[in-house]
Amino acid sequence: MNLILIFISAAIVNNFVLSYFLGICPFVGVSKQLSSAVSMGMAVTFVMTIAAAVTWLIYHLILVPFQVVILEYVAFILVIASLVQLVEMFIRKVSKPLYDTLGIYLPLITTNCAILGLALFATLREYGFIESVVYGVGAGAGFTLALVMMAGIREQLELADVPKHFQGAGITMIVAGSLALAFMGFAGLLSV
Amino acid sequence: MSTSARMIVVLTVITTLVGGLLAGWDSFTSPKIEQHRLERIRAAVEEVLPPHDQYEKVEIGGMSFYVGKSSADETVGIAFQAVGTGFQGEISMMVGVDASFAQITGVEILSQVETPGLGTKIVTDPTNKQNPDWFTDQFKDLKAVAEITAIKNQEPSGSTEVQAITGATISSKAVVDILNTTLEKAKDVYQSQKEQVL
Amino acid sequence: MANHKVTRTREFVKGLWDENAVLVSLLGLCPVLAVTNSAINGLAMGLATTFVLFSSSTIISILRKLIPHQVRIAGFIVIIATFVTIADRFLAAFYPDISDALGPYVPLIVVNCLILGRQEAFSSKNPLGRSMLDALGVGTGFIGVLVVLGSIRELLGSGSVLNFTLLGDWFAPWMVMILPPGAFLTLGFLIALSNWINERRAEA
Repeated sequence: MNLILIFISAAIVNNFVLSYFLGICPFVGVSKQLSSAVSMGMAVTFVMTIAAAVTWLIYHLILVPFQVVILEYVAFILVIASLVQLVEMFIRKVSKPLYDTLGIYLPLITTNCAILGLALFATLREYGFIESVVYGVGAGAGFTLALVMMAGIREQLELADVPKHFQGAGITMIVAGSLALAFMGFAGLLSV
Repeated sequence: MSTSARMIVVLTVITTLVGGLLAGWDSFTSPKIEQHRLERIRAAVEEVLPPHDQYEKVEIGGMSFYVGKSSADETVGIAFQAVGTGFQGEISMMVGVDASFAQITGVEILSQVETPGLGTKIVTDPTNKQNPDWFTDQFKDLKAVAEITAIKNQEPSGSTEVQAITGATISSKAVVDILNTTLEKAKDVYQSQKEQVL
Repeated sequence: MANHKVTRTREFVKGLWDENAVLVSLLGLCPVLAVTNSAINGLAMGLATTFVLFSSSTIISILRKLIPHQVRIAGFIVIIATFVTIADRFLAAFYPDISDALGPYVPLIVVNCLILGRQEAFSSKNPLGRSMLDALGVGTGFIGVLVVLGSIRELLGSGSVLNFTLLGDWFAPWMVMILPPGAFLTLGFLIALSNWINERRAEA
């Protein structure tokens, strides 16, 4: 499968947030400001890429050969939780300013269904190692894109006169719906 | 005991119990899941073969063929599985041809992970109330040659063309490509060795 | 600590509306949006999630004094993932059509912040009885939202509810309802509606 196709598909045409509903919690929770959206997006992309690689290795080098595929979910989520922990420690050591920017968003990534979803989808589609990693980068890019767009819009919404009952979560969902509708226009993008 | 030791013991005990529990559950549920998978294949074979009395599975050259027979034990059609890459992942389908591999008698999608609402129309299209399975129905009565094409923006003409799904061109073409490739291979394998088998 | 002023009934009822996981806390949104394209899918997902929530809450409440604080999240996650695997395999073995319809969203129950949230906030700190009631209440509230959302989307998107065609041929289905945008839009309106209802209740 063409790597570029995988990337564009994951980032735009089948955007993780707007087509697959993955990562909605941070999408709603962290998209109030552009700066936090960008930080979260970067952190998620970083974790996704590594998670894609590590879960691929675990699945193909351990679960399958030892015929314990039933442990897939348990293994994957433990890997992801540990990964997030390690990434947090690593960033803290390597770049304190970056660590401060990302702050509390890092631990939150563990329950980001987008990460587990990515690992599960890549396994389902039987991607090879490189393909899985590219898929991870693409999915992260798409997530960041959706998050940043949502943040940009919400910052503008602060100035708008939103009907009382829609304020907060309600209007966020409506905006997300409009974004999802717009993204559906990309459906024919990769037609040959 | 110290906190660290306790942490390790507790986690080890939990994971061991989990492992045992899941291993047991695996043996309990796996046979049923396998059964469903076989049932799906059976249903697909029945669907794509021309009218037949019963069918039997034969292995030739590494491929599985489901040979449909009439009550007089004559071969009326052959079905085989075609697998390949779609837009999002693997597409698997059952293809049926007549006894002389001249015409396609049916195509059933067994599994796919295409874009929900668009690529999934290769299986069933809820927007087409009259015939939701129109995409795969198109393959019936096409010539069984590896030259099938999916076309857009025009009415298909001739016996090697089908209409692609609007907004799901890649999925449509993937089905056709997988069909062509496997058709060619199946024809070769089956016809070159059928004398030895039947 | 357990609040003994909260009656047992209250532990259950609070999850239905006042502390509704989706409408109030905005938790567990991923599956809510993904599998509510029909009422039956919503119901199945709701039941599966409630099963996992209830089982996990039960076990974790029983073990709450044994699991050291530092590894509690890891412990919770393993237990939750185990029950999700059980539920997923159960569906695949006994209800394969539903398993196909729900697809990869069943395993995603593992990271449903709703479940982990309840363990962290409640079952790890409360006795068994209350934890079970809490889980059942929140789970039922969750099922409620899923079924309502699923019914609306199915009705407007396919003209049917639970596969019973309710709207005749005169109704041209709104395809968008069973696609992603429809999910977001419907949920947005539902949240606004629940805000309005709560406001009226507060005034009354």
